[in-house]
Amino acid sequence: MKTETKLVHFSEGIELESGEKLNSFDLMLETYGELNEGKSNAILLCHAFSGNHHAAGSSEDFGTGWWDQLVGPGKSIDTNKYFIVCCNNLGGCAGSSGPSSINPSSQKIFGKSFPQVSVLDWVNSQKMLMDKLNIECWHFVAGGSLGGMQALQWSISYPDKVKKAGIFAAAAKSSSQNIAMNEVARESIRKDENFHNGNYYEHDVIPKNGLKTARMLGHITYLSEEHMDSRFGRKFQDEGSKVEESVSFEVENYLQYKGEQFSELFDANSYILMTKVMDSYDAGKSKTLDEALKDVKAEFLIVGFYSDWLYPPERGKEIQIAAMNNNIKSSFVVLQGDHGHDSFLFNSETYSNLITNFIES
Amino acid sequence: MAIKLSKIINSWVPENSKVIDFGCGDGSLLKELFENKQVLGYGVEINDIKIEKCIEKGIPVIKLDIDKGLNDFMSSNFDLSIMAKSIQCLKNPDLALNRMLELSKRCVVTLPNLGYWRCRINLASGKMPITPELPSSWYETENIHLCTIKDFENLCLKENIRIKDKVFINRNGDQGGLSKINPNLFAVEGVYLLER
Repeated sequence: MKTETKLVHFSEGIELESGEKLNSFDLMLETYGELNEGKSNAILLCHAFSGNHHAAGSSEDFGTGWWDQLVGPGKSIDTNKYFIVCCNNLGGCAGSSGPSSINPSSQKIFGKSFPQVSVLDWVNSQKMLMDKLNIECWHFVAGGSLGGMQALQWSISYPDKVKKAGIFAAAAKSSSQNIAMNEVARESIRKDENFHNGNYYEHDVIPKNGLKTARMLGHITYLSEEHMDSRFGRKFQDEGSKVEESVSFEVENYLQYKGEQFSELFDANSYILMTKVMDSYDAGKSKTLDEALKDVKAEFLIVGFYSDWLYPPERGKEIQIAAMNNNIKSSFVVLQGDHGHDSFLFNSETYSNLITNFIES
Repeated sequence: MAIKLSKIINSWVPENSKVIDFGCGDGSLLKELFENKQVLGYGVEINDIKIEKCIEKGIPVIKLDIDKGLNDFMSSNFDLSIMAKSIQCLKNPDLALNRMLELSKRCVVTLPNLGYWRCRINLASGKMPITPELPSSWYETENIHLCTIKDFENLCLKENIRIKDKVFINRNGDQGGLSKINPNLFAVEGVYLLER
């Protein structure tokens, strides 16, 4: 698989939805495959909440790509046929400009002063990237969860630039329950004594415990009750526990381990910023979703998963109904999915076939 | 020669109509209506393999149990809804008919005719009918609300549903012969265009 990883600089900066401006910024991206002569085979993958630009294959820094099960040579999204682009979103912490990067004007770490961005800002920055890559139209823009929100927003913001959109395990807006969960996560970080109001870099510490707890909570919302029961049940952890704290049930050990691992890799300010992006998204904004979709030209494939209780299938159906009211060629399929909200990351025969058939039809 | 459903429906569908096909299978009917009449068609199907085939054909499809999901499309302003060979599988065929005529101006319903003479012979010999059109045993059939042509037309009358057009299919799959004279006895299938 032909893979390129690069950092693209945008000296022109970007006006953000909040009214603030970033005078310049960087986007870290990875591409797979090759752009054909007609430039008709470009696909944009949008990452979810804590994802990054590394969607497929294996890398030293990021391990296996977040969508490696579906993206690669001969896979559902075939890198032999398509030129696939994935970038770390603005505000992230995997190479693109974000709270943990240096502010070029002050030469200090942005920290809390990094402006709040939004799904629309992400889409706008990806559009700037698209122009730099000389791509005229995406054959397919896709993502799961927060990535699905970006795919939806792409079709709204740039109707002539997207042929097909894949909106998986997503919603047109976060629910009150989603926001509530995120607020608990944020509060946990903010209350960590090492948070220092977001300026922990200056103190040379990280709010590790807060971030760990936030991730543990998040992780529960990504899985389903059924999946947790079948995977962990009420099994006790054996002596070879991976964490030091005393844990008795296997599920506790698992969450401790996942939280611990994550808290060492992710930036707490990025975490807060990303949850805010998710909470604030509303495809309809001041209008109704029906009105928001009125200029969309893309075809939709909306997929939900029965076991997803974070963005349950009902949220996808709302998009489908608004799409049908606007005569958009849109399909809505609910799949079993064993992994709760995370199901969009995993390959299954039907899921894979649906995506391939949709891209190729 | 057997007449295709798409051929019958073709004359009932204006160009560029917005159509929803409940129980659309692999999307063949919608595909033909798209090719002939440029309809914007949505299929509703519950089987994943059939759904994959719809998407392969470029036919938009919604995975849904028709029994539960008829209320979801009330706002979409369809010109025509189609329910081919499915109404007898629903829990409430009468409610479904009414819903279809709320969400679309007209609807097409096709149903197997339990009044067909072979079915009657089966019943006369004391057994549930098993015919080429109704091949399953009583314990494994999905057809929980079978009716005769007469029964169906009586229901339409009772519900104030107007039969705008109808076509009867005989055992050879065409419209000729005795099925025209006495459809309740000789037709294996009725195809109706309904409106309110």
